Amino acid sequence: MDSYSDITEGPIEAGALIAQALRSDCGAISTFIGTTRIDESTEARVEYLEYEAYRPMADEKLEEISSEIKGRWDARYVAIVHRLGRVDPGEASVVIVVASPRRGPAFEASRYAIERIKEVVPIWKREIWSDGYIWVGSQVGTRPKTPD
Amino acid sequence: MSEAKVLLFGAAADRAGTRETVVNVESGATLADLWPLLVERHPGLAPMRDTLAFAVNSQYARMEDSISGGDEVAVLPPVSGG
Repeated sequence: MDSYSDITEGPIEAGALIAQALRSDCGAISTFIGTTRIDESTEARVEYLEYEAYRPMADEKLEEISSEIKGRWDARYVAIVHRLGRVDPGEASVVIVVASPRRGPAFEASRYAIERIKEVVPIWKREIWSDGYIWVGSQVGTRPKTPD
Repeated sequence: MSEAKVLLFGAAADRAGTRETVVNVESGATLADLWPLLVERHPGLAPMRDTLAFAVNSQYARMEDSISGGDEVAVLPPVSGG
């Protein structure tokens, strides 16, 4: 199985990753793209997200996820790329591409990859709001407390 | 006594007020022994205890795992990639 994983400061070229996944023995390519989202439900707003990672552990964990996929599904190509630093609303923070002879394994493996990233890969994001920031998952930050 | 490097990330770095520190560990010390030394120096970490994971030399580790001089210990808040 071919695999590619990377952690990058710049924009992720999803199209190039998908082009790499095309192969004659595969009938399915499943792509998952995680993008930054703005929650408009409150008065203050998220302006952008910022990611940091513990490297090289994070790189090793991404490779480990590719290996796990190889062991569980008939995947012929797996690409996992995560972005670091500032990511503006609507931009991709993670791109996962899995090619398989059939669609079932492609769907399942791409889903597995994003769920594992959220469980085991030492990457953290903080939301930068108009009035401070907050670390997602820890709820630690500088935003003013919401009045009761 | 020997020195272990401790790296802190995300919210833990915020709470500690630093991203890196060095702690003297006795031979045979475990992560559980290291924790109070860290909290003594960076009391802001104390409330995070139950949410944190640890890695030693880039491998997830348990509190009973031992550390030795030259090890790199990482203090990892709940991950939030994706």
